[in-house]
Amino acid sequence: MALEISAAALEAVLARTTDAAVKVARIDALSGGASSATFAVTATKDGADWPLIMQCSAGGEPVAGAMAKATQARLQEVARGAGLPVAQTLAIFEPGDALGDGFVMTRIDGESLAPRYLRLPDYAAARDAMTAQCATALARLHALPISAFDGLPLAGGSAQALLAKSFDAYLGFGIAVPAFDLAYSWLKERLPDAAPKSLVHGDFRSGNFIVGHDGLRAVLDWELAHFGEPLEDLGWLCGNAWRFGNWQAPVGGFGQREALYEAYEAAGGARVDRDAVHMWEVWGTLRWGMSCVSLVSDHLSGRVKSVERAAIGRRISENALDLLYLFKHGSI
Amino acid sequence: MSGTPDATQLIQAVQLFLKEAESELSGRLAFHAKVAGNVLAIVAREMAGSPAAAERAALTALTGQDAATDVLRDELCARLRDGRADVQTPGLVDALLAAAVAQVAVDNPRYATFKRVTAG
Repeated sequence: MALEISAAALEAVLARTTDAAVKVARIDALSGGASSATFAVTATKDGADWPLIMQCSAGGEPVAGAMAKATQARLQEVARGAGLPVAQTLAIFEPGDALGDGFVMTRIDGESLAPRYLRLPDYAAARDAMTAQCATALARLHALPISAFDGLPLAGGSAQALLAKSFDAYLGFGIAVPAFDLAYSWLKERLPDAAPKSLVHGDFRSGNFIVGHDGLRAVLDWELAHFGEPLEDLGWLCGNAWRFGNWQAPVGGFGQREALYEAYEAAGGARVDRDAVHMWEVWGTLRWGMSCVSLVSDHLSGRVKSVERAAIGRRISENALDLLYLFKHGSI
Repeated sequence: MSGTPDATQLIQAVQLFLKEAESELSGRLAFHAKVAGNVLAIVAREMAGSPAAAERAALTALTGQDAATDVLRDELCARLRDGRADVQTPGLVDALLAAAVAQVAVDNPRYATFKRVTAG
């Protein structure tokens, strides 16, 4: 499902951003999903290397329910303006560009594979710094008033609405996973129903960072951002799946919860209700379990036949186990 | 010895081939070769010991009924949905935990929580 992006068309877009001479030498596909595709662009500006990243909606148009790349690009600029480490948007495609929905941003150098930066000795100082860096980034994002996002079509709703939508999706799959039903019922009794007052990243986890030896350099993958409860991001960051085996370091596989909460509060975030944030860890475990359900259904339904999609169905049980462990021991 | 490789030996042969293929492939295909090898390991573990019995034991104990596993699973989920069962139900979390442990033993015995639950 490769998008055809011509170097010449991209050069014309980049020429709008500078008076310098622009050349695009290569466009390499990095990753592609059902809704978006990411490319590394090897370009030069007046002969000097100009490494860029391009993100496009697969098929040129945003798929139903997915955030448009043009919206994501503007959202990233709002976050960057608030002091978060985010790649700078350089150009958003316009209708006349004939490139569909997409944008170009700077390419930030560093390690994006969490299993590497979580294990390699070179990144020890980075790991030490990241808990506070993540806390600061989230505190700044969550402190933004909703009006900071005026004009951007972003989804959102109360925690109960989020849960109800997920439960409907679960019923829609026609499956029965007792651990999931247990978690849905438990969360339904507890999650708040208040209208959201913050923007949350929605996928803030160790697999969505660029990390240098100095720590967090960029927060990636903003397409799941929505108006919601700030604790959702803190709970998701502590998901067991994103620790890559470092279960003793619940914050992304690199840090401790209490240090995260204290740094978040010190950076201007609201006081973290320790019981409430635990609910969001339960929610995060259920949500990742439901992602596995959704991904394996691509294979089982024949939509996307793939050994990788088939295999992920055997990770549903990891989430069932984690949920039951959470209910038995109160923490994971 | 019949001289005919059994299913487990055939799986091992394909795993060996996938390892060779992976080293000659790159990108998405190399990744999928690795995943395919993992899938065969799941199949081999499931042939050696199915987790179905553990789930069935949990569901039978929790529902007090004797029926097909699918029916029992649906019954338990119905009770969880309408509040007849919840985390306070005696034995519920422990029984489901035992079934989940048996399933992860097949799906991914390297998973951290599995190792924590089964250690010592």
